[in-house]
Amino acid sequence: MKIVREALAGTMESSDLMVKIAPAEGELDVVVHSEVIKQFGDQIRKVVNDTLRAMEIRQGLIIIEDKGALDCVIRARLQSAILRAAEGTEIDWGKMR
Amino acid sequence: MQTRPSIDFRIAEVNGNTQRLDTNRTLLADSGLGMDSDITTFVEAWSGNRLVGCAGLAANVIKCVAVDEQLRGENLSARLLAEVENLALARGHFHLFLCTRPCNRERFQHSGFWPIAQSGNNAVLMENTPSGIQRYCRSLQASRVPGKRIGAIVMNANPFTLGHRHLVEQAAHSCDWLHLFVVREDASFFPFAARLKMVKAGVAHLPNVMVHEGSQYIISRATFPAYFLKETGKVQQAWSEIDLLIFRDYIAPALGITHRFIGSEPFCAITRQYNDTMHQMLAGTVMVVEIPRIKATGTAISASEVRRLLKTHQFSRIREIVPDTTFAHLESHYSAEVA
Repeated sequence: MKIVREALAGTMESSDLMVKIAPAEGELDVVVHSEVIKQFGDQIRKVVNDTLRAMEIRQGLIIIEDKGALDCVIRARLQSAILRAAEGTEIDWGKMR
Repeated sequence: MQTRPSIDFRIAEVNGNTQRLDTNRTLLADSGLGMDSDITTFVEAWSGNRLVGCAGLAANVIKCVAVDEQLRGENLSARLLAEVENLALARGHFHLFLCTRPCNRERFQHSGFWPIAQSGNNAVLMENTPSGIQRYCRSLQASRVPGKRIGAIVMNANPFTLGHRHLVEQAAHSCDWLHLFVVREDASFFPFAARLKMVKAGVAHLPNVMVHEGSQYIISRATFPAYFLKETGKVQQAWSEIDLLIFRDYIAPALGITHRFIGSEPFCAITRQYNDTMHQMLAGTVMVVEIPRIKATGTAISASEVRRLLKTHQFSRIREIVPDTTFAHLESHYSAEVA
């Protein structure tokens, strides 16, 4: 999928996260901010990277402001933001788990 | 678990309805903030019938964010900011700036904002992306030209006069290369596209001048609200500093700028103060060269004089103080009865 417009998903509530996405030519720039980066930074990045790979996102600016969300929440918010930001809405739900 | 008071978020359009803003004004005053006149929309947090938080939006600049003292520590400001971001995006603004006091810097850093520049204890400018200014600098680097003396001028050119042309010529002659930025903000009488066109036509005879479209980072509503609001005092000083820090720490290094040229300012107090601040802030990094304004028929040439003459259709007098290229534009757009 290709990111063609800016999009937001999520909130700044505790246990949630806010995802911001913007188009960027030729590079994938992923920024993760988290209240629990020290304990769970690696796991959060893994969920984010797996989700991006599953949705075939190869370029764009992805900003994540995590307030201690569970993996499934991170994945869901990221998916929502990507679907809002991408063109072509044929979704292969099987791929997204 | 602690129960949290339920909060409703509402969007309030200002629309000149200043009476209903009294509550916002009181809330802001409690936090030591004034109300900026260019705010068009407030996101408000209500607890029952009490206003407990607000955040103002002026185009893509967030300001006047305040939270009731009793509700601090509830993460309400982060929720307000998320609401503002959603609202701004719906209106086509994704890249947002936030002006705040340095004491709030850390709180907003936890809400998705990154600091760009700070003026002492007075103000800090933040943006909602970690790579905005860096990305902009990378794009500027593509226009980098090698040389010993690399000059820069920032002008509004509202419109481009013989005075502007004189400044550009003087600067271009004393430099290997000159980067000329045209202020992008559309807050002036002449729209950006027209100003850019007049500048480009007016400097086309100079081979070592590159005209750049300004950006959010050079004298914009974000970096320098006072220029457009014409407020006075401390606020304006703080924002002059922020604008110049961005120039000094990001733009000048990206382009290898060694000299910045300005015209002396006999009329506008804000521009004069900006010039003075520039001498202080850039000292030791970028050489500031102030070039005296040239005169025509006794007084220094100014763009505001052109606008005044335009209103009263005095085209023969305009012809004396603008280049032919500007005159052609004014004639074709604003006149039916030129002598």
